[in-house]
Amino acid sequence: MVMLTIILMGVGSYVMRAIFILALSDKTFPPMALRALEYVAPAVMASLVMTMLVAPAEGSLPAMREVAGLATAAAVALLTRNHIYVLTTAMAVYWGLGYLNL
Amino acid sequence: MSSSPNLRTNHGRQGALDALVLVVPAIPFALVFGLTVRESGLAVWLGWSSSPIMFSGAAQITLITLIGEGASLAAAASAALVVGARHLFYSFSMAPVMQRQPRWFRWVAPYMLIDQVFALCAGKRDLPPADFRHYYLAAGMTFWSFWMLFTALGLFVGPVIPTNMDISFATPVLFMGLLVTAIDGWQKALVAAFAMLVTLALVDMPSRSGLLIAVVAGIALGLLIDRVRRLW
Repeated sequence: MVMLTIILMGVGSYVMRAIFILALSDKTFPPMALRALEYVAPAVMASLVMTMLVAPAEGSLPAMREVAGLATAAAVALLTRNHIYVLTTAMAVYWGLGYLNL
Repeated sequence: MSSSPNLRTNHGRQGALDALVLVVPAIPFALVFGLTVRESGLAVWLGWSSSPIMFSGAAQITLITLIGEGASLAAAASAALVVGARHLFYSFSMAPVMQRQPRWFRWVAPYMLIDQVFALCAGKRDLPPADFRHYYLAAGMTFWSFWMLFTALGLFVGPVIPTNMDISFATPVLFMGLLVTAIDGWQKALVAAFAMLVTLALVDMPSRSGLLIAVVAGIALGLLIDRVRRLW
């Protein structure tokens, strides 16, 4: 039964990822849908970032050094558009504040 | 000859390299999944089989954890489906760019449409179709290989992984970087900020369902801004 559940979940995962790609493969998008599409990526990615930081069990606010690390990431991404700089500076801030027990 | 074989190879290589940067911080997560399988009491091969069958980190962990805790299979499956429901947004968002792709790719691509692949490829939608495809396939296959290997490793080394998983913070950091570079204009910045606030406000909702509401709320705000601007 567990095997069957996993297989059904595999089908479910695939269907959720495929449904619009396959169903809309030859449709013309109305202007409203195209505008909505523009906002999907920023909305999902912003929400994902927040979801990764706050777990329901452990209080509902991200830690200070997480906020500082993310703010650094955002600022460096805005200024340099270079993801290696983003990674190194944000992790340096995060680890540095952790070292200082902040 | 706008896309020489050489340039195409570079997009493939770039996709693999970009994916590798996201792979490293996901290693603890993959190992934790292996540990989850062991603690669930399921046969290890059975738990691991969800990696190739579902290829969906958070939904897999939800499913196996709940089964291990003795929840009914139907309850575990529905919670995992809610956790995975954000993929509907990825599918919708990728639909127009997939129209320019061959049919076989439209059937293969969804299998690899995980968070990281979406985050990387959402910013590549303006590439010529062949370059986009090579980038997407390289990123997807890199992440797939890693996930198969490290969830299997986690079955055996799970109990000895260090509890300090600070490296995992690199994932939200890189997603934040990808988010900022995807934002062109203050409307999208507002949409992103609003989606974050709504996610934070709804963090206690079950199975990450707050994320779904936050995304819809963000898109609605974007459309509202468009509407108001056209009236002026």
